[in-house]
Amino acid sequence: MTKPLLPLSNMADRHVGLTKALAESYLEAARVSLDRHHKPPQEFTLRDGSIEQAALVVWEPPDDRCRGAWANRDDATRDGAYACAIAAAELSLGLYAVKRAETLTGADYYAAFINQVSHDLEDCLRLEVSGTNLNEYEVQRRLRNKVKQAQKGKSNLPALAVVVGFRVKLVSMQTIDGIL
Amino acid sequence: MHHSRSEKYASQAEAASRNGDKDRAAELYRLAAEEEASALSALDPSKTRTLGITAVSAASLWFKVGMFRQVERVACQWLATDYLPDFAISQLQTILQTAWNEILFRESGIEFVKGEVLVSVAGGKIVTGAAPLEFVHRKVKEVRNIFYRTIEMLLNQPFRRRGLPNADIQEQFRPWLLQAPPGSYQFAVRVQKPAQMSLFPDASPEIEEVTQKLLQIVDAAAQETHEELENIVPDPEYRNGFLRLTRNLAPTGKTFNRLEIKSATDLEARPIVFLPESRQGINKTLREERKATEEPTELKEEQLTGILRALHLDKDWIELHPDDGEQSVRIIQTGDVIDDIVGPMVNQRVIVDVAVRPDGTYLYRDIQSEE
Repeated sequence: MTKPLLPLSNMADRHVGLTKALAESYLEAARVSLDRHHKPPQEFTLRDGSIEQAALVVWEPPDDRCRGAWANRDDATRDGAYACAIAAAELSLGLYAVKRAETLTGADYYAAFINQVSHDLEDCLRLEVSGTNLNEYEVQRRLRNKVKQAQKGKSNLPALAVVVGFRVKLVSMQTIDGIL
Repeated sequence: MHHSRSEKYASQAEAASRNGDKDRAAELYRLAAEEEASALSALDPSKTRTLGITAVSAASLWFKVGMFRQVERVACQWLATDYLPDFAISQLQTILQTAWNEILFRESGIEFVKGEVLVSVAGGKIVTGAAPLEFVHRKVKEVRNIFYRTIEMLLNQPFRRRGLPNADIQEQFRPWLLQAPPGSYQFAVRVQKPAQMSLFPDASPEIEEVTQKLLQIVDAAAQETHEELENIVPDPEYRNGFLRLTRNLAPTGKTFNRLEIKSATDLEARPIVFLPESRQGINKTLREERKATEEPTELKEEQLTGILRALHLDKDWIELHPDDGEQSVRIIQTGDVIDDIVGPMVNQRVIVDVAVRPDGTYLYRDIQSEE
């Protein structure tokens, strides 16, 4: 059976929380982060608890200019993880990014099951994203930390934590508050 | 309509910021904040989650452009209502406290390097908003010591084994303890910008990044494998020193069972979490490093727990009052001990790894704070 493609292309067309420019920028970062470890295409595992799904990741290798523009490894990993995490949430769970989650310190995203307009967020959940170039243990450690952090108080929204492991070809996710 | 415009401006601001166009980014964030504030005033109050998210978003956007009075206005206006859900109350309080700190700093004329480190501890004897003074004092010192080490590394200074940082560094890079938003127990630390940057020629860009660098180091030290730490801290002496300093931050589970450290102002704000198992991970790395460099020995290895009563590092010994003994014991060959790691441990509970000679003499291997 043909494996589904991780939907990294034209994300702004489906996710109202992403503008075209931002989606392209995240995709560039993902290409650089993926290319650091692999040659396309690659099979990634999307793991949601005990359920695993394989997905094919296809990307255009970045040229030197693109690599140079994303020379800051931390930025590339963070923004590349946004692209892969949002695409994985779309493919695995049918979730779409509907709004940036502005905080003091950057932005993750709010996501919803239907591609709803961004001014009604009653049914949304927070998408918490992290990326790493390290091993599977680190992917799981980050996921555990995110889950513990989200569980520790009543003051958090329901969330989906997603950690992207570029080197180990793994996207690990977990819902918090059991709302899915 | 306002929401969509705000989204568009915020996304463009992020792109401008990434391209290094700070002025354009600030202008776009301001426009995004204005649109978000307009959207907020038009919302149906029964949509509490939407209201909460939008209020937090508006306050955050005002914060990003440094318009702290606007932050205050939005936060206070909505905190005074009964409409907000818990998550939004908590987030708005955090933004408001941080904005108040910023207002005070501006008025004081003190300049800080970029970023702020927020440390929070929880569990055990820690209660909401309060912690034992001794404990807090020690944690503050430990964070300060990591800051100094990071500054020294950025200034390419040789690794210091004895004494305090040199006078110039202490005088010019003064760490400040700030009020933190309410939490389990939290404190925040910032480093004052040197008044005489000329004392550190060529170091200006690096020094601006000291808080970010500290967070990268602590994050890498918290990971099970330390390959990332090797990239960030290529010097093995510094790397070993950072691992030891970071280990002391981690809980053993007795006084507290969780410590989080994160940037309160920088872009990458995900907290670095230390649990008791984090300490075990660092211990494992340090043990492996030690075994790789030590001569193999037939001596028995032991672990002593007790109060560190005295030390004389120039004479190569420390003295411990063990839990199960009436008299203090002296542990020799402490060549590896570093002043600013062991200093905060005096008169505190510690765990000391030793090798025991046949005549009962204890040889030093490692020391860590028990809590």
